[in-house]
Amino acid sequence: MEVLSTADLIESLNLGLLAPEYIVTGTLIILLLVDLIWGRPVANKLPWIGLLGLGLASLALIPIWSVSNTDSFLGAFTGDPLGLLFRGIILISAAVTILMSERYIYQSGTAPAEFFVILLTATLGGMLLSGSSEMVMIFVALETLSIASYLLSGYTKLDVRSNEAALKYLLLGAASSAIFLYGMSLLYGLSGGETKLTEIAPKIATMGFPSILALVLVIAGISFKLAAVPFHQWTPDVYQGAPTPVVGFLSVGSKAAGFALAIRFMTSAFPDFATQWHTIFAVLGILSMILGNVVAIAQTSMKRMLAYSSIAQAGYVMIGLAIGTPDGYASMIYYMLIYLFMNMGAFLGVVLFGLKTGTDEISAYAGLYQKDPFLTLCLSLCLFSLAGFPPLAGFFGKLYLFWAGIQAGAYTLVFVGLVTSVASIYYYVRVVKLMVVKEPSEVVQKYTPTDWTLPGMRSLQIGLVFTLVNTVALGLASPILNFTKDSIQNTPILTTAPLAKAEKNAP
Amino acid sequence: MPSLGTGVQFVSFFILSALIIGASLGVVLAPNMLYAAFLLGFTFICLSGIYLLLNADFVAAAQILIYVGAVNVLILFAIMLVNRQAPETPVPLKKIRDGIGGIVCFGLFSLIATTVVRTPWPYSTEAPVTNTTLKIGEQFFTNYLLPFEVSSVLLLMALVGAIMLARREFVPDQTVTGDEPLVLPERSREDLEPALKKLPVSTASEE
Repeated sequence: MEVLSTADLIESLNLGLLAPEYIVTGTLIILLLVDLIWGRPVANKLPWIGLLGLGLASLALIPIWSVSNTDSFLGAFTGDPLGLLFRGIILISAAVTILMSERYIYQSGTAPAEFFVILLTATLGGMLLSGSSEMVMIFVALETLSIASYLLSGYTKLDVRSNEAALKYLLLGAASSAIFLYGMSLLYGLSGGETKLTEIAPKIATMGFPSILALVLVIAGISFKLAAVPFHQWTPDVYQGAPTPVVGFLSVGSKAAGFALAIRFMTSAFPDFATQWHTIFAVLGILSMILGNVVAIAQTSMKRMLAYSSIAQAGYVMIGLAIGTPDGYASMIYYMLIYLFMNMGAFLGVVLFGLKTGTDEISAYAGLYQKDPFLTLCLSLCLFSLAGFPPLAGFFGKLYLFWAGIQAGAYTLVFVGLVTSVASIYYYVRVVKLMVVKEPSEVVQKYTPTDWTLPGMRSLQIGLVFTLVNTVALGLASPILNFTKDSIQNTPILTTAPLAKAEKNAP
Repeated sequence: MPSLGTGVQFVSFFILSALIIGASLGVVLAPNMLYAAFLLGFTFICLSGIYLLLNADFVAAAQILIYVGAVNVLILFAIMLVNRQAPETPVPLKKIRDGIGGIVCFGLFSLIATTVVRTPWPYSTEAPVTNTTLKIGEQFFTNYLLPFEVSSVLLLMALVGAIMLARREFVPDQTVTGDEPLVLPERSREDLEPALKKLPVSTASEE
């Protein structure tokens, strides 16, 4: 390659596109230094430093929206609107996770600074993953996200279940990384030494079977992050054992990064195999919707139920991926944004209840309405929204997803989605009914009114109100859907890639 | 780097491959964990030989330094420190399970092997690089600048996480209410405070 002068090189790097990532990196270094210098006395300031950094990073996303040259770092990173929205979703989910973890960390007696540092690194990994367009970068970003997630799941290390969760997640995650890496090494060999996704596509178009093998291996690796059936075995145990705020982040932030990676990898590296990957994602989506919703019915632990519910929710989002139309992608982003608030809201409720009672059994929630109407309201609305009741946001999210599916002719997928959504109403409403109608359980009888002035409780309250407002209001805000549609139209990889018609009927 | 003759390269490739396959089978099948660990080290050394044949001298050196020198020694330390002779618990239907596992592995192997043999791999026509270190450095600061920088954040986080995991923390025997300590991470902190006071000063100040 030709040698560039320093000024040209810096110019060609297009550094400005990663401004949000620089801010997140700076924040995590500041957090480490502040904790190192002042220690315990400033521990209660750390979450606010983290939130400030995440807020600034979100603001830094705005000017990137209208940038015309989206290639950064010589093609390693793409700052297109698609990635931008996913980076925003990951940033917000990290911010809500900080809000719900402050009190949790205080009560569990673990060190706060390291928690926020690892959480911000996971955020950084997820954000980079949403924009990576080159295989080495994808792998480094994926590992940054994964290793940070393993550490976070094992953060309460005196708890045996947290240890088990971390070890299970680590072993299965390492195996899936290896499969993903093998798929990428096949792509590297087949394309004659290319690592950029867009440059791989023309070279593997005529390869036939070996490219399909690489495609399957790559999808297996990505599906692990999405927790799609049959790559979901880690989910229930990790969700039940890991600290609850971490589970909130894993179910939203980590999943959003996985979907961003899936869209980018598939549309830029495999545009000529669109029929094949549409079919694979259709099958994965159907399996996830059915298994997630059916198994969730039988759960007795709230966190485990939300784990299976998140598998099912990922199945709905996969409808958008399986049809592969611009409307499908737009409704995926829209649903992820709504899912962020309703799922985080549910986890905030679980954290608050868990902190006050020390349990997450569903039966313990009985009669909560009599003692804490506010928490009951938050949890109920989030669960109703997850089930897809109008006029909450979750209803509109599902509506657009299914509508995009019908327009693309994917009737089987939409049919399975509708039937399983109806089935899911049972287990969401069961919890609400338990809280409102039943007599208080033993646990709830000892329940004292929440004192919001205790350390860390204020942020929990802010988080609950913030997610509640969004769960109610977001569905009525149609500009957001148009906004996601604009983002798809302005994303080069999604408009130049041949968008094959959807599979009419999934096998 | 002076290049070897084609015949020598060919023969050494087969010798190295046979050694790698044999040693890695040994890693999986050896009943003693220590033997498995040493065979793993041997596999890594043979792999660096393959890298040498591919003109990747820097990667070969890094392979020996990092995998044999650091990773493998770490594994040996872990075995030494744990030092537990766990008796093997009998698994029900072991033969059938092994059989199914073997069939799956063989199927996967033949799938990959057919793919590798049948694929018309594109060959590079470029002349081999003489100074690989220079080339790697150049690539690190141009095409792979971002992954290079991000991996430093990754390492920093791994370091913080490792310290977090290895740091000593006290485990209270019993809580005030008398139940098992830390059944749930949500357990209220007030329960820990009496236990904190009883601890020696040095341990308490660590927290």
